[in-house]
Amino acid sequence: MSYYKRLRNDLAAAAAEGLISPEQADRVWQRAYGGRLFANFRAAHWIGAAAGFFVALGLILVVASNWDKIGDISKMGAFLLLFAGAAEAAVRLDDKPGAAIPLETLWFFMPVLGIGLYAQIFNLSGDPVKPYLAWAVLSAPLALLSRRPLAGYLCSILLFAVLFWGTLGRGNMLALNSLNAGGYLPFLRWGLALLVLGAAVLLYPGRRLGLPLGAAVVWLFLMLVSDTAIKLRSESLLLLAGMSLSALWLTWSDTPDDDKAALPLKTWIGAVYLTTFFWHHKPGSYSGYGASDTVYGAALAWLLLAGALLSALFRPQRLLPRGEAEDVAAKALLAASVLCAFLLFGAGELSSKILAVTANLLLAAFGAANILSGAKNASERHINLGVAVIALTALTRFIDIFGGLLVSGLGFIFTGLAFAALAYFVNKGRKALIESVKK
Amino acid sequence: MNKLRIVLAAQLLVFLVWGGWLLSSRDADSPEFYLATEPVDPRDLISGTYVALNYAISRPEPHGCRFGRQYGKIFVKLEDKGKTADIAGGPVPLYEATDCARAPGHGALWAEAALQYSGRGDTLTYGIEKFFLNENDPRKDARSGEVVARVKLGHGRKLMLLDLVRKL
Repeated sequence: MSYYKRLRNDLAAAAAEGLISPEQADRVWQRAYGGRLFANFRAAHWIGAAAGFFVALGLILVVASNWDKIGDISKMGAFLLLFAGAAEAAVRLDDKPGAAIPLETLWFFMPVLGIGLYAQIFNLSGDPVKPYLAWAVLSAPLALLSRRPLAGYLCSILLFAVLFWGTLGRGNMLALNSLNAGGYLPFLRWGLALLVLGAAVLLYPGRRLGLPLGAAVVWLFLMLVSDTAIKLRSESLLLLAGMSLSALWLTWSDTPDDDKAALPLKTWIGAVYLTTFFWHHKPGSYSGYGASDTVYGAALAWLLLAGALLSALFRPQRLLPRGEAEDVAAKALLAASVLCAFLLFGAGELSSKILAVTANLLLAAFGAANILSGAKNASERHINLGVAVIALTALTRFIDIFGGLLVSGLGFIFTGLAFAALAYFVNKGRKALIESVKK
Repeated sequence: MNKLRIVLAAQLLVFLVWGGWLLSSRDADSPEFYLATEPVDPRDLISGTYVALNYAISRPEPHGCRFGRQYGKIFVKLEDKGKTADIAGGPVPLYEATDCARAPGHGALWAEAALQYSGRGDTLTYGIEKFFLNENDPRKDARSGEVVARVKLGHGRKLMLLDLVRKL
C-alpha cells in the first residue's frame, strides 16, 4: 500500500474514532497530497503534455518530409517565428496550465527541431551525440527557470539517455570504450561524460537523489563492466564494486518514508540474492575475456568500498524501520553485505560456498529483523517484506538443491503440493503475526 | 524582463548566428569540386530521410594519413589527380586525398576532418556524410558509382555538401 493510501485510511480512521474532525482530516490530507511531486498534474495536464509532445514530433516529420518547395531562408525564418511564438505564448499563458504545459513542451522540443532543420538544409553530419547535447544545453535554462517540473524531467531524461547511448556506443564524442578513447583526450571525454551526468542529476526536479542516483550507479557499474579506462575483469573486484554501489545508492537515496526508497532497497536485496548463487561458482570460470583490471578501475572499486562502509556507518540506515536495535542491525547487515565480497579474493571453491551461505544468512537475518521490527512497530508492510524475503530465499534454495531430482511426474506433483502447503502455512503465519500486532 | 524571455532570446540568437554562419559558409568564395561517393539510405531521427555517403577520401591511402590511434582533428590535402566523372554538364574532375597533416598547409586545398574509430576501423569524417532529401527523390535509391558529391570548402576549412549529382 502506498504512503498516500495508508495516510488517507489512517486519517479516515482517526476521524471515525473522533480523534480529529472530518474537516481536519480532509485538510491534513489535502496538505500532504498537495505537496507531492506531481501535485499540480491532473489527467488533463498529462494529456496536454502528450499533445505538445505529439505536435512537436509531427512538426519534425512534416519539416523533414515536405519542405522542398520553400527557400532555405524562408524555412529558417518560419522556424524562428514558430519558436518565438510558441515560447512567448508559453510565457504569457504561464498561469493557465492547460495551455502552458503543451506550449512549454513544444518550446522544449523547438531547439532539436531547429537543429534537425538546419542539418537538413545544409546537409550537416558528424558526431551523432552532438545535436542531442546541443539540445540539452539550449534547453537546460528553461528546465532550471520553469516553475513546472516537466522541462526538468525531460532535460534530465534526455541527458541520461545521451550519457548511456554515447558512453556505451562507438564513434561519438562521449564514447568511452578503449577503441575510441585510447589515444584521444580520454580525460576530456571522461570530463564531458561526468559533466553530462552531473547536469542530469542537477536538473532532475525536486532535488531528489533516489532515481538519478540509481541511474548514475547503473551507469558507473556498466562503465566498470565495459571495455573502458576503468574496466574491471576480476570477479572479486566487480562484486566488491557492485555491492558497494548498491549500498551507496541505498544509503544516499530518499528518506525511508518515501516510496522511492523501495527501488534501491529492492536492488540491494536483489544484489545479495544474486550472491547466493555463488554456491555454484567455480574459481576461474569467469574469464573476463582474458583481460585484466585497470588501475583506475581497481582504485575506484576501493574508493567505492570506503564510501559504502562510511555511509553504512554514518548515514541513516534504510534497511529496517528506525529504532536503536534496528539501526545497529541494519548497519551491520549493510556492511556485511559489502565485506563478504572479500571471500572471493584469491578464492577457492570453498570460500565461494562460504560467500553463498553468508548471503543466504544475510537475507534470512534481514527477513527476520523486518518481521521482528514490524511486529514491534505494528508495521504490516515490514512483516510482509520479511516473510517474502525469507520465503523467496527458502524456495530458491529448495529448487537449487532438489531441482535436479525433479525427473518424474510424481516428483513434480510432490513439489507442487509441498509449495502449496508452504504457501498456506506462510500466509497463515503472516496473518497471525499481523493480527497479533493489531491487538 | 522575464528570465524565461531572456532564455528565449538567447536560444533565438544561437539559431540566428548559427544560421548566418552556415549561409555565409555555403556562399563562401571558394571553388566547388566533386568527390566520388558510395551511398546507402537510412533515416535520421531528427532530420528525416537522407543518403549516407561513404567517400574514398574517408580512408586515404597516402602514408602521411596514417596516424595510428591518435584520434582527433586532422587536415587532408585534396587535389585533382586526373580522375573524372561524366555528369549532365560534361566531365568533371574528381578530387582525391593526397596528404594529411595535423595543421593545414599553404596554397593547396586543405579540408578539416576528424579521425575516429567506427565499426569498420579508423575513418575520417568531414561533416558531409549525410545528404538529406525527400522520400520520393530517386537519388535515395542511388547505388555505388551512380552519383558524385558536389562540395566546396566553407568557413574554418570545413567541407560543405551542396548536391548529389547523378553520373551519366
